[in-house]
Amino acid sequence: MLRFIVKRLLYMLPVLLGVAFLVFTILSLTPGDPGTIILGITAKPEDIASLNAQFGYDKPFFIRFVNYISDIVLHQDLGLSYQSREPVIQSIMSRFPNTLTLTVLSMSVSAMIGIGLGILSAVRQYSVLDHVCVITALIFACIPGFWLGLMLLMLFALKLDWLPPYGAGTLWHFILPTITVSMTSAAGLLRLTRSAMLETIRQEYIRTARAKGASERRIIVRHALKNAMMPVITTLGTSFGASLGGAIIAETIFAMPGMGTLITTAIRQKDIPVVMGSTLFLAALFSIIILIVDVLYAFIDPRIKAKYQNGGKSRE
Amino acid sequence: MILDIKDLSVVYQTDMEVVHAVNSISLSMEQGETLGLVGETGAGKTTTALALMGLLPERTAKVTKGSIWFDGTDLLSLSERELQRVRGDKISMIFQDPMTALNPVLTVGDQIAEALLLHNVEGHSRKEIEARVEETLELVGIPKERKKDYPYQFSGGMRQRVVIAIALVCKPDLLIADEPTTALDVTIQAQILSMICDLQRKYKTSVIMITHDLGVVAETCDKVGIIYAGEVVEYGTLADIFEGDVHHPYTVGLFRSIPSLTGSARRLSPIEGLMPDPTALPEGCYFSPRCKQCMDICKKQKPKVYEKNGHQIRCHLYQQTGTAGEMEGSGGR
Amino acid sequence: MLLSIRELRQSTRMEGRAVNKKDRDGSRTGKRTSQVSEIWRRFRKNRAAMAGLIILSIIVFFTLFADLIVPYSKCIDQVGAERLQWPSMRHIFGTDEYGRDLFARVIHGSRYSLFIGVATSLIALVIGAVLGASAGYFGGMVDMVICRIVDVFMCVPPILLSLAVVAALGTSLQNLVIAITISSIPGNVRLIRSVVLTVAEQDYVEAARSYGCSHARIIFRYVLPNAMGPIIVNTTMAISDMILSAAGLSFIGMGIQPPSPEWGALLSGAQKYMFSSPYLLLFPGAFIMLSSLSFNLVGDGLTDALDPKLKD
Repeated sequence: MLRFIVKRLLYMLPVLLGVAFLVFTILSLTPGDPGTIILGITAKPEDIASLNAQFGYDKPFFIRFVNYISDIVLHQDLGLSYQSREPVIQSIMSRFPNTLTLTVLSMSVSAMIGIGLGILSAVRQYSVLDHVCVITALIFACIPGFWLGLMLLMLFALKLDWLPPYGAGTLWHFILPTITVSMTSAAGLLRLTRSAMLETIRQEYIRTARAKGASERRIIVRHALKNAMMPVITTLGTSFGASLGGAIIAETIFAMPGMGTLITTAIRQKDIPVVMGSTLFLAALFSIIILIVDVLYAFIDPRIKAKYQNGGKSRE
Repeated sequence: MILDIKDLSVVYQTDMEVVHAVNSISLSMEQGETLGLVGETGAGKTTTALALMGLLPERTAKVTKGSIWFDGTDLLSLSERELQRVRGDKISMIFQDPMTALNPVLTVGDQIAEALLLHNVEGHSRKEIEARVEETLELVGIPKERKKDYPYQFSGGMRQRVVIAIALVCKPDLLIADEPTTALDVTIQAQILSMICDLQRKYKTSVIMITHDLGVVAETCDKVGIIYAGEVVEYGTLADIFEGDVHHPYTVGLFRSIPSLTGSARRLSPIEGLMPDPTALPEGCYFSPRCKQCMDICKKQKPKVYEKNGHQIRCHLYQQTGTAGEMEGSGGR
Repeated sequence: MLLSIRELRQSTRMEGRAVNKKDRDGSRTGKRTSQVSEIWRRFRKNRAAMAGLIILSIIVFFTLFADLIVPYSKCIDQVGAERLQWPSMRHIFGTDEYGRDLFARVIHGSRYSLFIGVATSLIALVIGAVLGASAGYFGGMVDMVICRIVDVFMCVPPILLSLAVVAALGTSLQNLVIAITISSIPGNVRLIRSVVLTVAEQDYVEAARSYGCSHARIIFRYVLPNAMGPIIVNTTMAISDMILSAAGLSFIGMGIQPPSPEWGALLSGAQKYMFSSPYLLLFPGAFIMLSSLSFNLVGDGLTDALDPKLKD
C-alpha cells in the first residue's frame, strides 16, 4: 500500500508542473503588461518599463515560467500582487481557512445526506421515501446553488433574522453557505449512490448471497454496500471540485472573505499574480484530494490493492 | 419423497404484459436422486428453480397457484425468515455464470464461511468453521491456502468450484444446479459435472440438474423432465426418455436436432419455428404450432397426461387411442 | 438408432453453439429506423421524460420566437415611472430597477442560456469525441499523451479553469463559451475514451479489422454508432450543467455582463433589491431551474429508453 501511495505521490509532481504550466499559459494570454495595468496607459514608458522589469516581465515566456516555478519551490513565493504589492501567499493564507472550512463542511454534509439517503432510497425502492428522495434530488440538482443561496439569505437572514447574512467568523456564518453549497452536490451524490446501489443489488452475487440464506439486512450491509460505494468514491474527487466551485460562488453571495472573493476581485482588477497564485494553490489542494480518493478506492477494491502490492504488476 | 411440486404456476407481471413463465408444473423426486430439467432457453426452468428457493423477483414475479412440498413443509407457505433458514442449509443452488456469481470484494474463504455462519445452529467456533471451509475447498479441488484469495484471482472453472463449495458446505438435502457448466470450457465441463456427481454420492444429496444439454442429462440424471413453454411435456426415467418407445413430439424433435458422429450421415432436422410468446400462449397444446403431427384437437383442447409405468407424456397422440403401441411408428425415433 | 451417451454430449454442444450464432445474426439485422422508433416508443411511455420534453419545447419555442412574443425593445426600454413594480397584468413578471419589463428580459434571456448550453456541449462533445476516440481506439502513445494531458486538466477544478480563461480573455459571450467548454472537455475525453475502449474490444470490431476495414471506417461505422448511447445521454445532461455554470459565472460577474438579460446576470442585478422585490429573483431563477430540469428529465428518459435493461 505504501508503494502505491509513494508511486501516486511521485506521479503527482509532473501533473502539478503541468497544471502550473497550463494556468501560467492561460493567464499569460492576458493582454497588456503589469506596468500598463498598474500605472495605466497614460504613464511614462520608462516607469512602465521599470515596473515590468521589477515583475520580471521583460524576460521571455519560458524564463518567466521557470522563475515562477523555482520561486514557488525554493521560497514558497507566489509573487507580488499588482494592486497591494503584497506577497500573494499572504492574501491566500488569510483567506484560505474560510474557503477550506466551507468546502469541507459542505462536502461532509453532502456526503452524509447524499450517500445516506441514496442507500436508503435504493433499499426501499418504489416506497414513498424513495419517490420523495428522487424527486427532491432531481429538483435540487437543477436549482442553481447561488439562487438557493439568495433564497436562504432572504428567508433566514433578512426576513427571520435567525442567522447572520454576511461575513465569516463564527460557525453561524457558515450555516447558510454550507447549505447553499452542499445541496447541489448532495443531490448528485444521492442520485449516483441510489443507482449504484440498485445496480449492485441486481448483480448475480447478491443472488448467491440470498441463496445462502442471508437476510436482507446482511445482504445490504455486507454484500452490496462495499461494491456500490466504488463508483461513488471515484466521484468524490469531482464532487470536491464542485463544492470548491460552489464555495467560490457562495462566498460572493454571503460576502465571505475567502478564495472566491479573492479571485473574482483580482480578475476585475486584472491582478494576474493573485489569480494565478490562488488558482494554483487550489489546484494543488484539489490534486491532493484526488490522490486521497484514489488511495481510498484502492483500499476498497481488492483488485487494485493487489495490483500495487505485487510490485505494480497486474495479475489479471 | 423429498420434493413434490404440485401444479405450480408462476407469472411475471410488468407494466405492459403478463409473462406466463411456469404453467402448472408438477414434479417429484426421491432422496438421493438426480432430476434433470431439460428445455430451451426461456422454457421456465430457471423460474421453477427460483420459485423453489423463494428467490423470485419480489415485485414482478408471482406464484399464482400450486405448492412446493419439501421434506413435509410447503415452501410457499413459509415466511421470508423461515425461508432464510432453509436456503443454503437444506436447499442450495449453483448458478450458471461463475464469473458473476461471486462477490468481488470478499475473499472466497469468507464467502464459503458465510453460509456456515448463517446456519450455525450448533454453535461451532470460528476455528471449526475455518476448518470446515478448508475441508470443503480441498473437496472441490482447490488448495486450502487459497481461501484468502479474491474471486478475480481464479479462472472460470475454479470459480465454479468455489460456487459449488458455497452450495455444498452446509451439506444440503437438495442441490439445484442451474446450467452449472454452460459458461465453462468443454474440458472443464466434464470435470465439474463429475465432481458434482461424486459429491452427490458422498453426501446423498438430491440434485435438480437444469440444462439444455441432453448430453449432460445422459451423464448425470436418474429422472428427466422435458419442459416446453413452462410445462412438463414429458417425464420419466433416464431410460424412458433415451430408450423408451413413445415420446412427446417435442422430445423427438430435441433428439433429432442433435448431430450424430457415428451413425449414417443423416441431415440434422431442427424443430421448425420458435417457442411461443409467453405473453400470449396458443390455445390447446402449446407445442401445436411447431408440431409435425399436429391434429385438429391439438389446437383446441389442452392435452391431458398419458402415463405408463411412471413415464408421463402430455400429448393428444396417446390419448385418442388410449394405447401407446399403435402410435409407436409416429412417436418413436 | 440410439446415440452413445458420450457422442451425445459432444454433439449437443455443437448444436448449442450453432443456435447461439443464429440468434445473434438475427438480432443484428434489425433496421436502424425501427431501432429509433423503438427507442421513441419507450421514451414516450416515460411520463417524467415527456414532461421534460414538453418544458424543453416551450423554452425552445421562447428562444426561437422571442421577438414575436415580446419585442426586444421591451427588454431595454426604461420606463422611469414603472420602476420595481410587482407582477401585474401589465407586467406579468413585474419590472426591474430601471422600469424594464422582466418578462421580456427573461424570455429574451433564454436565448443566452440555451445557446451557451447547447453550443458548449456540442463543441466539447466534438473535441472530446476526437480526442477520446483516438485515445481509446489507437491506445499506445496516443492514448498515453492524451491521458496525461487530461490528467493535468482534471486537477484544476472546472470553475477555476473557467475563471482563469475569463481572467485572461475578458468577459464576453464568446469568452464565456470558451471558458465553459475548456472546463468540460477533459471529462468528455475520459468518458468517450472509456466507452470506445469497451466497444473496440467487441468481437464485431475485431471482425471488421480482420477483413481489412480502414481505421476511419471502423471508427465511424462500427465504434462510434455503438458508443452513441452513453454519449448522447451524457451530452443531454451536460447541457443542463453548462446552463447552470454559465448562469453561475454570469452571476458572480465573470460571464455575460448586464444589461444583457442573461438569467445569471439578471439575478446578479436583482440581489440589491431582493428584500423589496423578491420576484426579481424568483422568475429568472425558476427559468434556470426549469431549463436545467428539462434537459435532465430528457437525459434520464433517454438513458432508460436506450438501455431498457437498466429498468426493472
